[in-house]
Amino acid sequence: MKSIPPRSLDGAAVSVAEPPGVARAPRRPRVDLRAWRGRFAILACQIGLLAVLLALWQYATSRQALNAFLFGSPSQVWRFLVQMAADGSLFHDAGVTGMETLLGFLLGNVIGTVLGLSLWYSRVASKIAQPFIVALGSIPIVALAPIVIIWFGTGLASKLAMATLSVVVVALVIAYKGATSIDDDQINLMRTLGARKHHVFMKLVIPASLRDIFAGLKLTVGFALIGAILGEFMSSSDGLGHAIFKAGSLYIIPKVFAGVVVTIVLALGLSFLVGRLERFLMPWHRFD
Amino acid sequence: MATAPRAGAAASTAPLAPLVPLAARGIGKTYGGHDGANAVIGEISFSLAAGEIVSLVGPSGCGKTTLLNLLSGLARPTRGDVLWHGRPLADVPRGIGYMLQKDMLMSWRTALANVTLGLEMTGMPRAHREKKAHAMLAKVGLAPYYDYYPSALSGGMRQRVALARTLVTDPEVILLDEPFAALDFQTKVVLESDMARLVRGQGRSVLLITHDVEEAVSLSDRVIVLSHRPSRIRAVHEVRLAGERGDMMAMRDAPGFTSLVREIWSQLDVRAGEH
Repeated sequence: MKSIPPRSLDGAAVSVAEPPGVARAPRRPRVDLRAWRGRFAILACQIGLLAVLLALWQYATSRQALNAFLFGSPSQVWRFLVQMAADGSLFHDAGVTGMETLLGFLLGNVIGTVLGLSLWYSRVASKIAQPFIVALGSIPIVALAPIVIIWFGTGLASKLAMATLSVVVVALVIAYKGATSIDDDQINLMRTLGARKHHVFMKLVIPASLRDIFAGLKLTVGFALIGAILGEFMSSSDGLGHAIFKAGSLYIIPKVFAGVVVTIVLALGLSFLVGRLERFLMPWHRFD
Repeated sequence: MATAPRAGAAASTAPLAPLVPLAARGIGKTYGGHDGANAVIGEISFSLAAGEIVSLVGPSGCGKTTLLNLLSGLARPTRGDVLWHGRPLADVPRGIGYMLQKDMLMSWRTALANVTLGLEMTGMPRAHREKKAHAMLAKVGLAPYYDYYPSALSGGMRQRVALARTLVTDPEVILLDEPFAALDFQTKVVLESDMARLVRGQGRSVLLITHDVEEAVSLSDRVIVLSHRPSRIRAVHEVRLAGERGDMMAMRDAPGFTSLVREIWSQLDVRAGEH
């Protein structure tokens, strides 16, 4: 005879099934200590890696293993950063580039999103437009820079145009994809509720596409910055692109690096700003 | 005898009764250009009287969803006419409600705002439509959850919100495409019962498309059995079961229920390959 293994009372405990139609209160995620420590460890590794690279760079140039004239060194870069901050050119150039970027970002997203969403309205129009959109999207924006300078001059307008051009096609494609990926059943449902096309557009297409559009904003703010700096490279009297280009043509390599560092900080700041804007305008967290 | 099967469908050439909101007269649907390219609906005729609940059951892939789209005016039949109050249907008419297996609630709207969706298109003032929506949410048992977003609701509750959204526009005819198929059995039976009570109490007509024979028999006054595609009507059963028609569990225990379910099952022709 086989003996039956003893069972604990816990093992036989009956789990109470949740009755249907009873709401679960939205559960607040508890702060997970282990996950937090993991994130802290990753941040520490990232900072450590950066410090090691900078130290190696500094060491190699001071020992003449790397040519300090061609490669600069972290300490020289830092000195230029301090100097640029002291004479105000750092804030001026970053401000100019930041303004160009933000304006181009806004203009490009507004134009691209409006065009992309309105293409939803007409299947024929979107079919006609398709090859043109693909063609526009495949042009490297830098190839347009000479024409843009000729048309818009060397001032703010040409940088704005470059930043806008860098953004507009991407924004258009994202908005159009978002608008056309809506479930047909959902549109049918709206129709049985008596919706006309403009109702479907206002009450379904726009709100349903907003998530994609806002996800695109984080992407396009970087593109706008690239466009603005390209414009400044071609021809300008101020801005980070101008500062980098001028330092490069004078072989002041540490100053080039200093400009790049400021550009990176500007890019991080701008994408942080856009992320904040998204949280403020689109409270997804309320219903996700 | 609980059933009165009529083999085949009588062509509805007789003048329609005044209280027949929705009828199909020899409708068929073929996709593709040439004859018999891809015939989904062969020929189907039936009528749905006011206050009646009729189920269409068929083997999977018999074109149930196509049929629903034809009946709601979302698609045009290739042959025949869908009659809305005796007139051929040219577009989605006012007075049709439509509910699918997917609840299709808008994630960015609260339960209340999802229910008011249909009323917004009628130009009703906001205060009025919110009052109606609150009342309808109370009828489906969700009054306290009006400001919940769909993501915070369970599957059964979401489908209740969808039901409220359908009923709040006061449709004469409600078309249901397997609306309870994704729910667990308990939730499903409770929801079916609630829906049957709400609909029967207000004299609305319901056309339910389902593959669940028990659901069809327990809920409806008439069950229409469809054949494989191109689908035709294979049999029609009047359901005359004794008992509380709003209680789906009681209906399942009614005498004659099991034999009718079995008979319909045999007509469903679920074996493959037979024609």
